[in-house]
Amino acid sequence: MDAAPRSFDALPLDPELEVPVPFAAGTDVGYGDRAPGTVLSVRDLDHRRVTQCALSRTCGVCGAGLGRPLAFLGSRRDADRLAFRFPACHVGCALALLASYADVTEPVLGLDTAPGEWQVVTTASFEFVRPGTDDVDRRPTFQPHGLLSTTVL
Amino acid sequence: MAISDVTEYTHLSAEEVEQLGRELDAIRQEVEESRNAEDAAYINRIIKVQRGLAAGGRLAMLASAYSRRAGKPALVAGAAMLGVAKILENMEIGHNVMHGQWDWMNDPEIHSSNWEWDTAQPAEQWKHSHNYVHHQFTNVLGHDNDIGYGILRMAREQKWHPVNLGQPVYNALLAALFQWGVALHDLDIERIRKGEKDPQEMKRQLLQILRKGRNQVLKDYVVHPALSGPAWRSTLTANMSANVARNLWSYVIIFCGHFPDGALHFTEEELEDETRAEWYLRQMLGSANFEGGRTLHVLSGSLGYQIEHHLFPDLPSNRYPEIAVKVRALCDKYDIPYTIGPLHRQYGQALRTIIKLSVPNGWTSSDQPEPPTPSRDRRRRSDAERPSRRPELGGWSRSLRERSAG
Repeated sequence: MDAAPRSFDALPLDPELEVPVPFAAGTDVGYGDRAPGTVLSVRDLDHRRVTQCALSRTCGVCGAGLGRPLAFLGSRRDADRLAFRFPACHVGCALALLASYADVTEPVLGLDTAPGEWQVVTTASFEFVRPGTDDVDRRPTFQPHGLLSTTVL
Repeated sequence: MAISDVTEYTHLSAEEVEQLGRELDAIRQEVEESRNAEDAAYINRIIKVQRGLAAGGRLAMLASAYSRRAGKPALVAGAAMLGVAKILENMEIGHNVMHGQWDWMNDPEIHSSNWEWDTAQPAEQWKHSHNYVHHQFTNVLGHDNDIGYGILRMAREQKWHPVNLGQPVYNALLAALFQWGVALHDLDIERIRKGEKDPQEMKRQLLQILRKGRNQVLKDYVVHPALSGPAWRSTLTANMSANVARNLWSYVIIFCGHFPDGALHFTEEELEDETRAEWYLRQMLGSANFEGGRTLHVLSGSLGYQIEHHLFPDLPSNRYPEIAVKVRALCDKYDIPYTIGPLHRQYGQALRTIIKLSVPNGWTSSDQPEPPTPSRDRRRRSDAERPSRRPELGGWSRSLRERSAG
């Protein structure tokens, strides 16, 4: 494990949008998809970190081990089809991220909609589904096995 | 070798590979949709048996201190019961719970987020080194740190070094002290030695290991012996025997998973555009099963079904026997090797590889087809150096030659 988990308050800021950069978006330059010389960004997710979060069962926001229940953050469409792009997180981390992105008006973190339309759902378990050749969107998804709750801001 | 260069499956067309992937998806879906109370009862029953054995073993040791006549048999029985309890806890319960196999039950205790197992490695570090590094990069040289655990040369593609001459000794030490070797696994001593490890993360991990290791030592070598009063020394010896038995057993089982003949190693070139079906194939070709009865499989954490475990690490372990029948049928249908043999033969092959690879390649013959790629450096990679899977960068990959021609 190379990158240490960080508390929400210690997450680095995106220099463009001035919002916290979650673990799954790559919190370190020169690591995963964030090549040396680039800047941190919440525009997209770091593919390697997404896989790491899925298999290591770590929070996509802070990078520490997950708790119970698991929270998923995504658009209404993600919630309707039970397939999320952003890894599972702590409930507190998901809600804190949602609150801190409230003023962002464009899609970020690889999601299809702006944060104003995001939802936080909770579940007990999920399946990490790697993309197949037939998939139009070639990113893995997190598919919860049923929902425990849904929070809409 | 890269997955697309593996002769065992290059006879398949791209369509056939895709179809195989779909058939494996269907197996997964069928099991997911049929998980039920019987599965939940299985894991609850195993935990009950394991806790009964642990408590019984501790009580037998305690009783042995106060009975001259039954003292020795009770002590031996206690050590045996505790050893089996530790094996069950680590293999069939802890390892599988931490994969998330039982998360669907929404049980507050039997959940991958909460389970802390009876061994020196902190669960959080296991979930990184095993669930992520080993299961994502299975048998990929330089990425899967389980290939020789950083101290053994287990593939002919790895460069030989004179230090490898000591492999038989390192192997014996690793087996006897397995829980402590595993405890240090995610720390990555090699990267610490080279000054490549984030000091903050190293300190955090070290503290976790020290805390967990201290608790394990206190439990087995201080508190329980102290409870035995004057018989503290025999209880301490019995606890140590149980731990060593668990170490030897888990070492043997784990080394049977990827090191018998037929389990292939891969290189990193093709990881970038590996698709889901190719990922399935790499798991199948890089793993090896062993045969045995139901008790043997339960005691080995269902890792006798290593192929099925690597295909579906988060499906309940009690369903692997039925999955294995279907996976084997698929291997027959697509003419893909399904590596399996009795436990003694699988371990014998792994041990022979350890001994043979302690000397340079030229001194021994290969038991596997020679890899087309030359020797490469064997240093461990950091998380930053591990590639993400980027399937959008390429379609189905065949061989490098075919791809260049295309």
